[in-house]
Amino acid sequence: MKRRRGVRLAGEVRDAIVQAARSIAAHKLRAALTMAGVAVGIMAVIVIFMVEAGMRTSFARQLSALGPNTLYVHRWAWGVDRSEWWKLRNRPPVGQLDHRALVAGARLPVAIAPIAGTEATVTFAETDLQHVDVRGTGEAFLDASGWQLKRGRFISDLDDELGTDVCVIGADVEDAFFKGQSALGQPIKVGPLARCTIVGTLARKGNAFGRSQDGVVILPLSSFLRSFGHKRGLTIAVVAPEGKVAETEDEVTAVMRAARRLGPGDPDNFSVNRQDKILSSFNQTMMTTNIVGILVGIITAVVAGIGIMNILLVSVKERTREIGVRRALGARRGSILLQFLSEAIMVALAGGAVGVALGAGAAGLIDLVSPMPATVDPAVVIGGILGSCLLGAVFGLWPALSAATLHPIEALRHE
Amino acid sequence: MALIELDRISKTYDLGLSQVAALRDVSMAIEPGEFVAIVGQSGSGKSTLMNIIGCLDVPTAGRYRLAGRDVSELGDDELADVRNLQIGFVFQSFQLLPRASALENVELPLIYRGVPGKQRRERAVEALRRVQLEGRMKHKPTELSGGQRQRVAIARALVTEPSLLLADEPTGNLDSRTGEEIMRLFLDLHAKGNTIVLVTHEPKLAARCPRAVRLVDGEVVADGRGREVAMSNVGASDEGDAGARRCSGGP
Repeated sequence: MKRRRGVRLAGEVRDAIVQAARSIAAHKLRAALTMAGVAVGIMAVIVIFMVEAGMRTSFARQLSALGPNTLYVHRWAWGVDRSEWWKLRNRPPVGQLDHRALVAGARLPVAIAPIAGTEATVTFAETDLQHVDVRGTGEAFLDASGWQLKRGRFISDLDDELGTDVCVIGADVEDAFFKGQSALGQPIKVGPLARCTIVGTLARKGNAFGRSQDGVVILPLSSFLRSFGHKRGLTIAVVAPEGKVAETEDEVTAVMRAARRLGPGDPDNFSVNRQDKILSSFNQTMMTTNIVGILVGIITAVVAGIGIMNILLVSVKERTREIGVRRALGARRGSILLQFLSEAIMVALAGGAVGVALGAGAAGLIDLVSPMPATVDPAVVIGGILGSCLLGAVFGLWPALSAATLHPIEALRHE
Repeated sequence: MALIELDRISKTYDLGLSQVAALRDVSMAIEPGEFVAIVGQSGSGKSTLMNIIGCLDVPTAGRYRLAGRDVSELGDDELADVRNLQIGFVFQSFQLLPRASALENVELPLIYRGVPGKQRRERAVEALRRVQLEGRMKHKPTELSGGQRQRVAIARALVTEPSLLLADEPTGNLDSRTGEEIMRLFLDLHAKGNTIVLVTHEPKLAARCPRAVRLVDGEVVADGRGREVAMSNVGASDEGDAGARRCSGGP
């Protein structure tokens, strides 16, 4: 008896699928419009989640450029919200004295690099390059950041001491001015005041967060401060030895507190930042994106679902007599339910598959034309397919139930 | 043991303000192998009676035993199973699935019985052969004539080897020649041992059945040899028209 039930179910499922396919084929336009609704919805959700994943990837890439073992001593704490900003605004800026204190007092760090930065226009032979990221730093910068030297040499501590007019340029600057010719030894103007000679070029680092990191010019810190003003606050990058980030953080904090003569009860008037602090603030931002994505998803699902419900109600109406015949021939209510749910799921699934394909296409396009990396996760594909099945089942349920609960006699008499 | 035992069956439709009795204390028994016509004007309750005999509906009062089993208080799914196992329906308007082939239409009740695919096909082919349609198996209903469609419907009713073949005005949508063809097919099936209940408003068809039951206003007014019951129509026709105004019972 059990086997017979299995055979019956298998037969019914097969019949339901064949009939659903025929019903869809008989009303191609109607079905196609409903599928389009589902497809657009699924595509929208996929694109949103893909953009979010892309932002995460590029952000993670940028974070890795900061280095997991690098601490950043700064006036501000990273990833704080505006209300805390007011509490921190009276802190003294981090300056060269702090840098000297750390170099003298901290024994654990592998490298300590002071970094000042601004944005300026760089000029070479009458050609301007705007919005260049200009930094002033010392020899330790290379160790403290993810940069690699391509040609020439980097800024040395001696350059910093003497305030020599030398600089190292990033790949975008090199491409903009020299186009294949050697940049070494060429003079450029950085901002309104600094004139310096290129002594080295940096290897390309690529994009982070939708923007190139290679539009950069690096000067010795002293030269930078001379040209752009001495009152600028610094960020001091401190590279901790592998596995000793926490100890190094403690040591840096102690040295800084001593240098700034803070009493035992005084709060820190500086922050020792780590990349995971940015990550947590980034995650908060992404939560907003997530909520937007989920909302858009819900709205499109409801719109697409109403389309499915509509097409199914029409189908039930058209096939009322067929329902009566099937019931007369021995179909139980469950069999009728199965049949119309199959149709709903099939329409939704077809739309969902198209939506996933469109989403993947959009991902390819975004990856190709925008700086953001965009890939389609297999989980997204599976989620899209399963999600559209669920959509069909949920929104098909009511019409299918209304079909299943029709009285056989009423259904047979339906004109 | 009788195949069908109806014991004081009543069916009342509640129309809110008024109640309409479609059947009143109908009792009868039909033995296996009988060919019975149920005749009556429209509104006489014959459709209601057919629905109850066909287990599409349950009576308001009374007992109905089909093949020894009381089916008058069964639930919806149980009735569906009884229909599948015991009854083969033939409808006036054929009621074939328009997008399925003749063969697929005939296979349909076997799906609900859980017959495996290969065996299903074999039995459906055999049923179509019994109505001389083996050459039209792949045709869709729209590609068949009216008589052929009704024969597909008869094959669909026969394929489950039902205890009872229940035909509702099976010649109603056919021209007289094709109708005659279908009537002969029923007589032939009866001769081969099938039990048939034929619901009709045509005395001419009832006259050709060995037994006929006449309904007027939801009551059995005559039950006997087909020819005799059919002849009794002449005197009862006025009464039948009156019934049509009072009873709901559909077309």
